[in-house]
Amino acid sequence: MTPALQTKALTKHYDDGTVALQDFDLTVPDGAFFGLLGPNGAGKTTLISAVCNLIRVTSGEVTVFGEQADSLPARSWVGLAEQDINLDRFLTVEETLVYHGGYFGMPKALAQARANEMIDAFDLRAKADTRTPKLSGGMRRRLLLARALMHRPRLVILDEPTAGVDFELRHELWRYIRQLHSEGTTILLTTHYLEEAEELCEEIALIKGGRLIARDSADGLRERYEATSLADVYVKAMAV
Amino acid sequence: MTGMVWLCRREVLRVYKVWTQTVFAPVISSLLFIVVFGLSLGGRIKLVEGFHYREFIVPGLIAMAMMQAAYSNNSASVFQARSDRYINDVLSAPMRPWQMNLGVNMGGWARSLAIGVLLLAASIPITGVPVHHPLFLIAAVLLGMVLFGALGVVVGIFAETFDHHTFVNNIVILPLAFVGGVFYSVSRLGSPWHELSHVNPVFYLVNAMRYGFLGISDVNQWLCLGVTAALAIPVYLWAQWLFSSGRKLKA
Repeated sequence: MTPALQTKALTKHYDDGTVALQDFDLTVPDGAFFGLLGPNGAGKTTLISAVCNLIRVTSGEVTVFGEQADSLPARSWVGLAEQDINLDRFLTVEETLVYHGGYFGMPKALAQARANEMIDAFDLRAKADTRTPKLSGGMRRRLLLARALMHRPRLVILDEPTAGVDFELRHELWRYIRQLHSEGTTILLTTHYLEEAEELCEEIALIKGGRLIARDSADGLRERYEATSLADVYVKAMAV
Repeated sequence: MTGMVWLCRREVLRVYKVWTQTVFAPVISSLLFIVVFGLSLGGRIKLVEGFHYREFIVPGLIAMAMMQAAYSNNSASVFQARSDRYINDVLSAPMRPWQMNLGVNMGGWARSLAIGVLLLAASIPITGVPVHHPLFLIAAVLLGMVLFGALGVVVGIFAETFDHHTFVNNIVILPLAFVGGVFYSVSRLGSPWHELSHVNPVFYLVNAMRYGFLGISDVNQWLCLGVTAALAIPVYLWAQWLFSSGRKLKA
């Protein structure tokens, strides 16, 4: 079966000399709920950016469902909710979704219908005509996720999707992400909340200094590191 | 193609949503120039190249307003998209680099055209300015929009702060427009100012526009069009290359 995401010897050196990723190999199976854990600067966001065509990779290969990540089909299969809120300040909630659908090739009627569906699913109806800078933090986070899912991507990448959101919204987002996964969508999640990774992910990869240091299920990692919790695993793995 | 069409729509929507800043203000500003310089002071100036002064300054003022609009719109739009990082929504979309480039250029062109049409509609009854060569005028307008729209995209991509975007407008484009023959015919200038005017790229665009309107130009009209095209094409290709290579757009 073609993996949802595969990187081979992926290397990224930034112009300032920072080595974000070095010969990074990773395979995420189709249909997986895959977590990426690592400290700030470990290379998680760089990896995501390489998959989403947002950085110029130094060397190596990235494929999405067997296609080069920078090809048009691959791009249309990926949905990204970035860590930082990056919403178009000139658009309303509804326009944000409709225009995103348009960028990803959806005809107007289909984009409009899907946007309405996402507005209801993420409880954004009351703010549908509000411009994005006037939304609350929680609303922006919902919209970011709705936008990532707008074009029905096969691979959804969530870069710390629940950072800074309250308990209720976090669990609401978890519920939606789980439902999405149960429908067959591959999820790649980065998070600093270890309980989030343990709760949601079938498999977790630990990254440090641009290299993959371990990958297994939460149970497998606990066994391997002789730890009682994922937090202990994380501390031991990062101490090496 | 769908993605590019939506990107074009987004850029035009941005112009429409803040129309008081993007269209109304520049139109009023240019009309004030026409009224103050053309009507109030123009009566004291003899005919210029056979035309009343109020007619003579209209083509240059329209050219200046249009090129500033094309530049400012695109540099501000691209800079804001980079600064707030919502440009990532476009860069990650299944669009080819030429489609992205055309899409982001469209806002400046639309704004520029809206200003040009409104100024033309207002200028004809106020000043009686004729349009002698409409097809030539259209060609000059298109090339000017491409040149300054693409320059705006390039500056928007390279700018690190909003000051960089305004710097190019205030320190480069506006002064070049003022000394490019908007308010006078360079044939009246003595040496070396007469010769120096010919190295000013805006001089050729202003004269191309003036030929389209009045049928007169300080230099051959085809040279004006050729120089503008010779600048517009590489600048547009430069913007295209930035999207293709990802330089300054992608880390």
